[in-house]
Amino acid sequence: MRILLIEDEARIVELVSRALAREGFVVDAFSTCADGHEALSDIHYDVAILDLGLPDGDGLALLAAIRSGGNKLPILVLTAKDTVEDRVHGLDTGADDYLVKPFAMSELIARAKALLRRPGSALGAVLSAGNVVFDTIGREVRVASAAVTLPRRELAILEHLMRRLGRVMPKAVLEEKLYGIDDELESNAIPVHVHHLRRKLLDAGATVEIHTVRGIGYLLAETKS
Amino acid sequence: MIRDWRRSLQFRLALRVAALYIAATVVVIAILMSRAFDTARSLSDRELIGRATELAKYLTVDENGRRRVDLPPKLSGIYDNPNSADIFAIRDAEGRIIATSQSRFGELVAEWPPATDNPAYFRFPLGAGPDHYEGLSIRVSSPAGPLSMSVGRAEGDAAAVYSLLRKFIHDIIWAVSFLVLASLVIGVFAVRRGLKPIRDVSEMAAAIGPRATSVRLPDKNLPSEITPLVAAVNRALDRLEDGFAVQRQFTANAAHGLRTPLAIITAALDGMEGNGELSKLKADVARMNRLIEQLLRVARLDGIVLDVAGIMDLNEVAGRVVEAMAPWALARERMIAFNGTETPVVIKGNGHAVEDAIRNLVENAVVHSPVRTEVVVTANPDGSVHVVDQGPGIPGSDRKRIFERFWRGKGKGSNGAGLGLAIVAEIMRLHGGTVDVDSRSEGGAIFTLRFKLTSAPQ
Repeated sequence: MRILLIEDEARIVELVSRALAREGFVVDAFSTCADGHEALSDIHYDVAILDLGLPDGDGLALLAAIRSGGNKLPILVLTAKDTVEDRVHGLDTGADDYLVKPFAMSELIARAKALLRRPGSALGAVLSAGNVVFDTIGREVRVASAAVTLPRRELAILEHLMRRLGRVMPKAVLEEKLYGIDDELESNAIPVHVHHLRRKLLDAGATVEIHTVRGIGYLLAETKS
Repeated sequence: MIRDWRRSLQFRLALRVAALYIAATVVVIAILMSRAFDTARSLSDRELIGRATELAKYLTVDENGRRRVDLPPKLSGIYDNPNSADIFAIRDAEGRIIATSQSRFGELVAEWPPATDNPAYFRFPLGAGPDHYEGLSIRVSSPAGPLSMSVGRAEGDAAAVYSLLRKFIHDIIWAVSFLVLASLVIGVFAVRRGLKPIRDVSEMAAAIGPRATSVRLPDKNLPSEITPLVAAVNRALDRLEDGFAVQRQFTANAAHGLRTPLAIITAALDGMEGNGELSKLKADVARMNRLIEQLLRVARLDGIVLDVAGIMDLNEVAGRVVEAMAPWALARERMIAFNGTETPVVIKGNGHAVEDAIRNLVENAVVHSPVRTEVVVTANPDGSVHVVDQGPGIPGSDRKRIFERFWRGKGKGSNGAGLGLAIVAEIMRLHGGTVDVDSRSEGGAIFTLRFKLTSAPQ
């Protein structure tokens, strides 16, 4: 998988590139908007990481230019600007996610992977978390290479949780995604499904865990070793 | 502010003006009196001298060389009465009596030295009564040579004039006193009115503080003597405001500038494999990141005018904070939960700032909670938000101080910068709300944010 990194701070480029390479990504780094834009027209990238403060212009302008060209490339924006207004502006301009410097490298990688896990993205077809692999096309789940059979609703819940690995999936959103308007929805339907799913993952020896954030929703996290 | 009235400009002015007026009144009345009495005396002198001169005209010398006075009937009617108020005695240059209106007076006068060109005044008792005669002796030339004329009259006659004078002065004193009092009162009121704009300006100046540096004192309606002072104060405020702005900008720039190198250090440390020292270093860097984060937030709160007029749903914002903070809390093996409301809790405020406030409380609660305990955020329909933890709680003595900047508890050191709760307090102040902390009976702290509900949801 190929990542485009547009960042002018040489040390950041070096460290980010190294960390991403360790995760198995190929990284092309450019230090100006112009170079970055040019590279985009030649090569198909899976994710772009874009710094906003660039020597030859504001990264937001580049972002707008990319989006106006109809390019759906997932873009993660990096910035030292951190007011919420900046953040909202960045997302409005078409950023898929936003990370404020200084950031933890693990966070950057997690965010980049989350973008890649979106349906239609590079990692969108086969999701993985810990030792759990989810083939979203074959609707097949394997824990440590062993197939685990899950009913349709539990599969759907697991898929959504895996796409949002490490972040909270609000229960309300899950309900929306799982049930049609006409479906009779019992108030404890989702918790019951999650309970079963949790038990099955545990039984299968999965190294992921479904946490409940009471009052909000669920969060899938890799179990700490 | 207690004003010392003795130091007030009004009082000092009134005091001096009053003293001046009283002194001026005394001087004016004294001069008036002395001039009046002078004039009266000189008038009476002149009249007496006139009489002496007139009397001298009636002195004749017959062929035998005898001198005698023949008064016309008009004068003799005045002088011939033995009880007349007017008396005269005429002597020659040697002091011999030529004529006198009353023999008693003649006997008296005969013993006096001859008169000179300068009037010599006399006063003597009139018979046994309390009344006196007074008058003057003067030398007058006549066809019969120089004469020593002594003319006088009963004191009572002159007394009428003086009593008139005294009455006049008495009236004048009242009039002058009234004028003095009136102008004093007018003066005091004028000063009060003139100083009123200064009092108003003082009240405005009292409102100026580090958070309200843009206030300038108006110089409209001010006495022109004061405007230079006000202008100078305003210029000083301009410079102060610049100073504040520079300082805020500095904090923001410094924090901002520190971010990139910190990002590099953070990233570099993340990429390293190593022993225990490395994880300590990582914790140190994380702490520094946090401090800089908080400094930036403080600088922003200080530097901008927060727009708190927006309509927002407190329930939704609190839920969003819990959602965003959950991974962080779970990574620290603390649970987090949210008790929302059925319906939106509509308040007026700045959503981002309120989010900041709740996030700071949650961070604080998670940091101070034991492992595998739960932090609960509750939004209430009355516009309050509770953040409850199961940590050690806050000792009563610290409850006020925890909201001060850079305050950190004495207990086991948390790695905070001591800014989080100060930021919360500041945000609540800007929203016209409150933050307080209490202990739960079952242990742990309960922080409560209280916002004013807005009655007109959109």
